[in-house]
Amino acid sequence: MSFFSKLRKNDESQLIKQLIAGDQRAFQRVVSAHHNTMLSVARAIVGEAFADEVVQDAWISAIKALPQFEGRSSLKTWLLHIVANGAKTRVRRENRMSSLDDNWESEPADKFDRTGHRYDDVLPWELATPEAILANDQLQTIIEHTFQKLPALQRAALTMYDLEGIEMNEICNILSISSSNVRVLLHRARTTLHHKIEQYQQSEK
Amino acid sequence: MYQCKDIADEVNNYIDGDLTIGKRIGLFFHLLLCSCCRNYLQQIRSTISIVTVARPKEQNDTDIDTLAKQLHNLCHQEHDHNQI
Repeated sequence: MSFFSKLRKNDESQLIKQLIAGDQRAFQRVVSAHHNTMLSVARAIVGEAFADEVVQDAWISAIKALPQFEGRSSLKTWLLHIVANGAKTRVRRENRMSSLDDNWESEPADKFDRTGHRYDDVLPWELATPEAILANDQLQTIIEHTFQKLPALQRAALTMYDLEGIEMNEICNILSISSSNVRVLLHRARTTLHHKIEQYQQSEK
Repeated sequence: MYQCKDIADEVNNYIDGDLTIGKRIGLFFHLLLCSCCRNYLQQIRSTISIVTVARPKEQNDTDIDTLAKQLHNLCHQEHDHNQI
């Protein structure tokens, strides 16, 4: 076990003790850290209409089961499995299906000639650090807005892989889809966000 | 021989290291020769960094503080119930 995973484990077991002891701040910390990702997973599996309810139920189940949490996975992964299982049960009850084939903006075909070469030059972005770029409120708003318009499965894949650093095999288990499907979702989400940032960059010139 | 279109299709798998060794080498040689595709790769890497720092969130009306308080109360009730 690496130094950082030991640190995480110690920190988490401390946090769980605080939760079981009823420490109000520990509840605030856990809910604000994980509610967004849980909602993302629920929306990806069961859709918008039932997601809030599924997440609320998942929180209640998790709090009740907390004394039995053995720490074999991280708290985050454990919570995501609880919400995913709840969402999958709800899907079966409601007989709903999510589709991977949502509309998305691929790299447009008219950017390439018949042999697959680009027509236009792609210029490097003249970027400062991501932090400096995001000091610009307009770009932050564009990213937030574009993200929220992505299909729910793409948002869930991007949130778990890029933002939360969850391992690919865990994401596949949580969403019950293959790794190649998760890769497709990530590719589509990142490509759409790239288009919007590119448009913004060009409008600034 | 790989083309620009292949880079556009596989750029994320290239970044995430999820390619066969043959395909990875093929794309690498295309990148050596094509500055457009090198720039495109840099743009996608920047996109990931920017989004990771921006941390966009789901649209969400839930009041986190209220939910945390409700769960806190539930925890107390569970604790009291177990004590009886």
